[in-house]
Amino acid sequence: MAEGSTRVRKVVLVSAMAALLVPLVVQHASTQGQTIAAQRRAGPQTGPIPRLPDGTVDLGDGVWTGGGPINDIEQEGGLKKGEIEALLLPWAKQLMATRDVTQEPHNRCLPMGIPRVTPFPYRFVQNYTHRRPTHMFILQEGNIHSYRQIFMDGRKHPADLDPTWYGHSIGWYEKDTLVIDTVGYNDQSWFDRRGFPHTEKMHTVERWTRLDKGRMEHRFTLDDPGAYMRPWTVTFMARLSPPGDDLMEYICTENNQYGVFSIPGWAEKFGKPQ
Amino acid sequence: MRTMLAVLLAGCTLSWMAAAADAHHAIGGEYDPNKPITLKGTVTRIEWTNPHARIYFDVAGPDGKVVNWNVELAARSALARQGWTARSLTVGDTVTVEGVLARSGVSMVNARSVVLPDGKKVFSGENQ
Repeated sequence: MAEGSTRVRKVVLVSAMAALLVPLVVQHASTQGQTIAAQRRAGPQTGPIPRLPDGTVDLGDGVWTGGGPINDIEQEGGLKKGEIEALLLPWAKQLMATRDVTQEPHNRCLPMGIPRVTPFPYRFVQNYTHRRPTHMFILQEGNIHSYRQIFMDGRKHPADLDPTWYGHSIGWYEKDTLVIDTVGYNDQSWFDRRGFPHTEKMHTVERWTRLDKGRMEHRFTLDDPGAYMRPWTVTFMARLSPPGDDLMEYICTENNQYGVFSIPGWAEKFGKPQ
Repeated sequence: MRTMLAVLLAGCTLSWMAAAADAHHAIGGEYDPNKPITLKGTVTRIEWTNPHARIYFDVAGPDGKVVNWNVELAARSALARQGWTARSLTVGDTVTVEGVLARSGVSMVNARSVVLPDGKKVFSGENQ
């Protein structure tokens, strides 16, 4: 009898495993031979939100693209043209007017900053100890190869911070939303190619909400009394990259020739590339 | 006919610019979209690198003088996700490059297409 029930359990287990594998095999077969770029164009993956054993939303089941501005934070963030521009303080408006695309920090292999993204993917990696999750890292392929560190252990922001590109981030979950609260930024990054500025007073709150298998909404709220009249919010959609896509090496300084030969007067202005 | 051609060219340029905007750097700052150029020559070097892959090739000018041109492609990782590798082209290959000139006027071009003698396009679209 005991032997019989073991056999039944084995049959049930094997059937369940097969049932789980079938969709994976079908999905693999349907995308076989297609490049990552082609699979991305086919649209986001569908299916339920994947979860960790404790029920927490799992953000680590692949690499992500999108979810932030590249060219125009107003347009890409779901606002009308001029909405953020109208909130700039006069000095910040003047600064922005002096900026052109050739002055972008990332042309010299400096970070894109927050909330800007690139065409290259990033991965959320949660670090655990035997007690609990302690950190979330966001590993960025490009541009540049870098990472963000988010403290998930309940600590607060220190009172006195020396400014940095990515600031000091603390994070927590609210249902299926990862909330990241950051202060301590420097004023170096641009939000987009248009050159929206910010100051060291910037405080940001990112709300990353997984909607399903393939999509994650990023609701980004910025409060920077140094540069803007009041806080504002923009919303983006990140997509899970197709299975098989992983972070690749991206060393921006290995062959960055930006402007050196192509833009008249570049070397006099900026020197050789980093 | 001329209008149709102009519309077609404008369309191609727009879609190309949209694609280029996805690259590491917008071509606007470095290259002049109003200065298209087509060059044919022999590949002398391939740099499979970031933030841009590059090929260098020797092009004979009308006066017979050979000039080595620097051709900017997309990022290596973007090309890899389209299925291209450093072996998709070989030193010594003859290629025709269509692109736009650097604003400074040096022998640099941002490539729109790189085509082998048999008509096969490399480093653009999908290689699958």
